[in-house]
Amino acid sequence: MFCERAVELVRELRRATDGSLPAFSEDGIRQVLEEMKALYEQNQADVNEAKSGRGNLISTIKFRHCSLLRNRRCIIAYLYDRLLRIRALRWEYGSILPNALRFHMSAEEMEWFNRYKKSLATYMRSLGGEEGLDVTQDMKPPKSLYIEVRCLKDYGEFEIEDGTTILLKKNSQHFLPRWKCEQLIRQGILEHVLS
Amino acid sequence: MTGVCINYHVLILFSNGLQRVLLLVASDVDALCACKILQALFQCDHVQYTLVPVSGWQELETAFLEHKDQFKYFVLINCGANIDLLEVLQPEEDTFFFVCDTHRPINVVNVYNDMQIKLLVKPDDDLNVPAYDEIFRDDEEEEEDSGNESDGSEPSGKRKRFEEAVVERTMKRRERRVWEARRQEILFDYEQYEYHGTSSAIVMFDLAWKMSKDLNDMLWWAIVGLTDQWVQDKITQMKYVTDIGILQRHVSRHNHRNEDEENSLSIDCMRIAFEYDLRLALYQHWSLYESLCNTCYTSASLKLWSVQGQKRLQEFLAEMGLPLKQVKQKFNSMDMALKENLRDMIEESANKFGMKDLRVQTFSIHFGFKNKFLASDIVYATASLMENIEKEEPGTASFIKALDSLSRSNLEKLYHGLELAKKQLRAIQQTVASCICTNLVISQGPFLYCCLMEGTPDVKLFSRPVSLCLLSKYLLKSFVCSTKNKRCKLLPLIVAAPMDVEQGTVIMVGIPPETESSDKKNFFGRAFEKAAESTHSRTLHNHFDMSIIELKTEDRSKFLDALISLLS
Repeated sequence: MFCERAVELVRELRRATDGSLPAFSEDGIRQVLEEMKALYEQNQADVNEAKSGRGNLISTIKFRHCSLLRNRRCIIAYLYDRLLRIRALRWEYGSILPNALRFHMSAEEMEWFNRYKKSLATYMRSLGGEEGLDVTQDMKPPKSLYIEVRCLKDYGEFEIEDGTTILLKKNSQHFLPRWKCEQLIRQGILEHVLS
Repeated sequence: MTGVCINYHVLILFSNGLQRVLLLVASDVDALCACKILQALFQCDHVQYTLVPVSGWQELETAFLEHKDQFKYFVLINCGANIDLLEVLQPEEDTFFFVCDTHRPINVVNVYNDMQIKLLVKPDDDLNVPAYDEIFRDDEEEEEDSGNESDGSEPSGKRKRFEEAVVERTMKRRERRVWEARRQEILFDYEQYEYHGTSSAIVMFDLAWKMSKDLNDMLWWAIVGLTDQWVQDKITQMKYVTDIGILQRHVSRHNHRNEDEENSLSIDCMRIAFEYDLRLALYQHWSLYESLCNTCYTSASLKLWSVQGQKRLQEFLAEMGLPLKQVKQKFNSMDMALKENLRDMIEESANKFGMKDLRVQTFSIHFGFKNKFLASDIVYATASLMENIEKEEPGTASFIKALDSLSRSNLEKLYHGLELAKKQLRAIQQTVASCICTNLVISQGPFLYCCLMEGTPDVKLFSRPVSLCLLSKYLLKSFVCSTKNKRCKLLPLIVAAPMDVEQGTVIMVGIPPETESSDKKNFFGRAFEKAAESTHSRTLHNHFDMSIIELKTEDRSKFLDALISLLS
């Protein structure tokens, strides 16, 4: 049956819930494109024959054309949804992605991500006077400026904005400005202690 | 020495929200509670801090070295008061220490250093520090004097003057020697006995109260801190009752709501109540029978390690009219009718069996429908979490778990701690019973001595200081009850347990004699030091309590011999 592979691609994304990014299915895309190419060529041949008078081919041609369009829709949906997920990654992980995620992206997606990163950075620099404003921080209003965090790994020295450094050693506990540690919490180095 | 409150303000002022503060916290329950209170205060005042757990002098020194470039302000909780901090840590001139420590005596240099070391002590704590002039003397003044003497002499009576000067100088030297000897004597008297002052948690709570920032939670931590001192037998009964009285005033101030219909509180709110409760360990979370068997006080009084003792326990239960079936099931599931005036009933029967102090003043905490804990429950649970030997993990991880178990949102950790505490108490009880039955406690003349052999069950648990101390206290109490020798009842006890088999070390702890009028002052710290010095034993004074040392196994016998000759 036509379009099966294309729908499979869409399903694959749907199965990966909570915004995680599955590996880019280059193989699947290639198969769909091949199918589309075959469909197009067959249609081309049949159209030529239909022109020469075989009217009974018209319905077959229409059917093939619908399949072609459906394949296109599926692929575009697949790519667009991935794009949205990649954009969300920038807000979640910051400008540097973990390696595991980077391997899941195609070269074109990588390039798009880099451009998105750049334009977001330009925008953020233009806000809030000289220093710019990090709009990815505090997406919800925080309850307090400082939070208590616990170190889960030996991380080494960590520099805070004002130039002081602190030593993040396993099982030490710190009271830090919230916005400095959000990154590290996401990376799994710190843990927010709720009392 | 200035007041606690002033010192805290100094700290806030200095740090000013910009400078970070390093908290170095020792591994005992009182320190944890004090730390919790201080953390809450810092969160109010937005003081940024880093908390590093330390379990001994070595860790304290490494922690200091690792952080001394990044921090100027250090707060030491339950560590650091009893040695000369400046000499040990060699800090820069602009480094400041705020020391809140129950260890006494406080090192005299720490007391009289006003610049870099600020002590957080309650003003009514009697420190008995020798006067400044008796132990310090400005040497420069001395030299200047003698310098003036020689310069200002006139040529006419030079010889005479010279002789006078010589006489004067010898006089001075003699005077100095006398002063020196006197100083040694004073210092010896001052440092001879080791004891504990007011709980750090109470000191911290006092601070919070004076700044009107005290909460019910903080009050509870202060109570737990005090109860820890009592459970560990660090303070006298007098001191305990006095401090309980002080805390009770705060408790009634904080918990007067919910007394009548109009001011009712939600059941989920935390309430602290004064209790005159049984001193049976964990009995509300155990069965009454198990608790009776594993509480030091009852098991020592009934002599449960012997057959007669077991019989006496049965008699005791029969006297109270409690069916065995009820007594052996979970306390929670016991018949309500029996529980109603259980405490009075038990007290009455206990009096007949010679257990006059089975009830004790304490506090309980209540929140939600089923969560009710006595202060001592929390102490046992937290202490055993801190010395958990089930998993091979660094001490800092256990410290963090214990710290977590103190906040009300981590109930599952607390319940885990309660289970561990039951195991610990059982282990202690069994070890005590086997030590007494096999006569392992030997009188060495000036003290009693007991050595746990490698290979006895649970011996690994007793390589940790708090568990070992608890064991020694239980052992001594039980021994005093079991022995007929009157002289032996007045002796202190030393217990040794294997610490690290591969390195061949033992851990040794000395505790003061167990008498009614005991002032809980411990002379073993100095004695251990002297004995190690005279025999060149390879010892390690790593614990903040001087009376706990680590020792190479081969050096043990010569160390003990030296100790005997030193003390007799």
